[in-house]
Amino acid sequence: MTRFAESTITFPYKRSLGPVVGAFMTALTDKRILGIRNGKDILVPPMEWDPTTGAELAPDFVEVGPVGTVESWTWVPTPSVQHPLQHAFAFALIRLDGATTPLLHAVDGGSSERMVEGLRVAPRWRGTRVGRIDDIICFVMGEVPETDGGDTGAAQEPVQRMDYHASITYRNPVPAATDRAVVASRNRRLLGLRCPRCERVYAGGKGYCPVDAVELGPECEVDLPTVGTITNFAIVTPVSYPGQTETEPFVRAFVLLDGTDVVIGYSPVIELPADEVRVGQRVAAVWASPAEEHDQEGGMGGAWGSLLGWMPNGEPDIDDPDLVNRIF
Amino acid sequence: MSATPCAVVGVGQTHHKSRRLDVSFGGLVREAVFRALEDAHMTLADVEAVILGKAPDLFEGVMKPELYLSDALGAVGKPMFRVHTAGSVGGTTAIVAASHVHAGKHRTVLAVAFEKQSEGNAQFALGSGRGASLGAGGAFAPFIRAYIRRSGAPEHIGWKVAVKDRLNALKNPYAHLRIEDISIEKVKASPMMWEPIRFLESCPSSDGACAVVLTDEAGGKAAAADGRPPAWILGASSRSEPSSFPGRDPVRPAAAVQCAADVYAQAGITDPRHQVDMAELYVPFSWYEPIWLEAFGFAEEREGWRLVDDGTTELGGSLPINASGGVLSSNPIGASGLLRFAEAANQVRGAAGEHQVEGAQVAVGMAYGANNQYFSTWVVGSSLSPFAG
Repeated sequence: MTRFAESTITFPYKRSLGPVVGAFMTALTDKRILGIRNGKDILVPPMEWDPTTGAELAPDFVEVGPVGTVESWTWVPTPSVQHPLQHAFAFALIRLDGATTPLLHAVDGGSSERMVEGLRVAPRWRGTRVGRIDDIICFVMGEVPETDGGDTGAAQEPVQRMDYHASITYRNPVPAATDRAVVASRNRRLLGLRCPRCERVYAGGKGYCPVDAVELGPECEVDLPTVGTITNFAIVTPVSYPGQTETEPFVRAFVLLDGTDVVIGYSPVIELPADEVRVGQRVAAVWASPAEEHDQEGGMGGAWGSLLGWMPNGEPDIDDPDLVNRIF
Repeated sequence: MSATPCAVVGVGQTHHKSRRLDVSFGGLVREAVFRALEDAHMTLADVEAVILGKAPDLFEGVMKPELYLSDALGAVGKPMFRVHTAGSVGGTTAIVAASHVHAGKHRTVLAVAFEKQSEGNAQFALGSGRGASLGAGGAFAPFIRAYIRRSGAPEHIGWKVAVKDRLNALKNPYAHLRIEDISIEKVKASPMMWEPIRFLESCPSSDGACAVVLTDEAGGKAAAADGRPPAWILGASSRSEPSSFPGRDPVRPAAAVQCAADVYAQAGITDPRHQVDMAELYVPFSWYEPIWLEAFGFAEEREGWRLVDDGTTELGGSLPINASGGVLSSNPIGASGLLRFAEAANQVRGAAGEHQVEGAQVAVGMAYGANNQYFSTWVVGSSLSPFAG
């Protein structure tokens, strides 16, 4: 049975809206909906260019709606947390009065049986509006716009940017080689896989040889030494970003394992300050104790399992001018 | 080349800045596109296909921006393709566009590349959305350390490249960084970010776009007859290699050496150092100039730094590198590769303005991406046979 690992990536992006969508968003905070003139058409939402030819459009805005007519719809019976409403609703193409193109938005229709083409709908505005399309919570049946809660009024300044909090959760299959490496790490074994064609050895649960493009199964397993030499390193000055975990300069070292051709790249170092790390330094693997119960999240992550990183082992440095070139 | 010849007849770019909060994605790319079309004396209607390149979607959080931008780029009803080759993507975008012309599939193709770094965060995106991102500097610092030690280059080489490219940028009205008082002392005094890389030896984060109009032999000759010299593509090549395996050398990657050999063979170049008049190399950190001078055959192994040291790569030198100011002065990531290709084209068109290399007839544009893994290069000339006679 393939095992899956779930990951979530989130980031607060900031969208620059530009002069046309910016004007549309600014008007939303004032509970007005703008279209733009394109020949005989009134495009809603407004665009900076003719959608067919790409020709630039003059900023000739026209107020439309706010009431409109449903032209088409689809029912969403079980919304996800990312949907605009948390109960069953319709996504609809709504042609606002005065517009020649439909706007896609949610309609709180109660039941799919009440949804029909030609249905008249009006916006339900958010009481506090920031200049986003969801300043309109949804459209409701009838000719009368509503406002949800106390109305805090229009934006004081033109809206230029929009927060876009992106979040995606996905599941990746975990290769069998990763699981075998993690299990071995709990016994303080560093598992390698030797390519039967080129004899190169790969660590870290890399279950294939990228040179020969062959899969490396359990029959290719070899035990690797857990002592080595730092060949090269990076000292990273962390910059701030959402999700950053580091505040102080941190080291990532490359460790050539004794008697092998295997370099363990981008490894954390332990009890080795950034200003003391050097090429030629002798190090030994540091493992999580069984009590620490390190798993996928532990130490170096992924297939490294219980391997936390590398620590000086007290042996004298190795002086070899070619060591620094062993990054991979 | 045996294929149908292809010419660059239009180049456009934005004024690159940290934040272009005044424009949308569409507005940003259209600035570059309309400058390129104006330069080519064309309109969107003349374009038969559009090729778009940018960094991975995590940088701005827009999935499939090529589809989102198709109407902004006038691509409705036309073939539209997206290229993905990490940092080299802008260069690969130009090569993919050129290949459509070379193959005779389309007469005129628009290559567009952009990045709007202000909408997201490069360190976040490069770290796959996790903490402790190495960033580009952290990933490349070990390669640079290896280069310095194996070549024995003195440390001022990195500072010198940093100063040279920023001085060149002062002659380029589109460049992002304009450091009027740039000096060796200033670079030396800037903070150490990823030892041995200092802050001023690093590229900025930019919002910007670049567009290039490519057309066939008839189109190129028509432009020339109209007094608008085209840049003829004499060779174009892309190569890549896996990110890590025992024996891989990121300082002189096999893919880079093969890419150079292929593109020079196509162009009939046997001595790049003397047959090429200038090059725009992808140098996001100063030490990459000597590294690529060597991998792309402008200098012997371990000797590239000497061309920096003796002034050969300065604007007045015999092989100017990054006369535009390069990636060190403007880095809208996805566009950075296309900018290298576009600047090389402008040089052989005699259209580079104040940073024009006098008499440039053959120029190289080059981009790389990821862990020194992806390479794209083209050679452009002021004529189709610059070495004849």
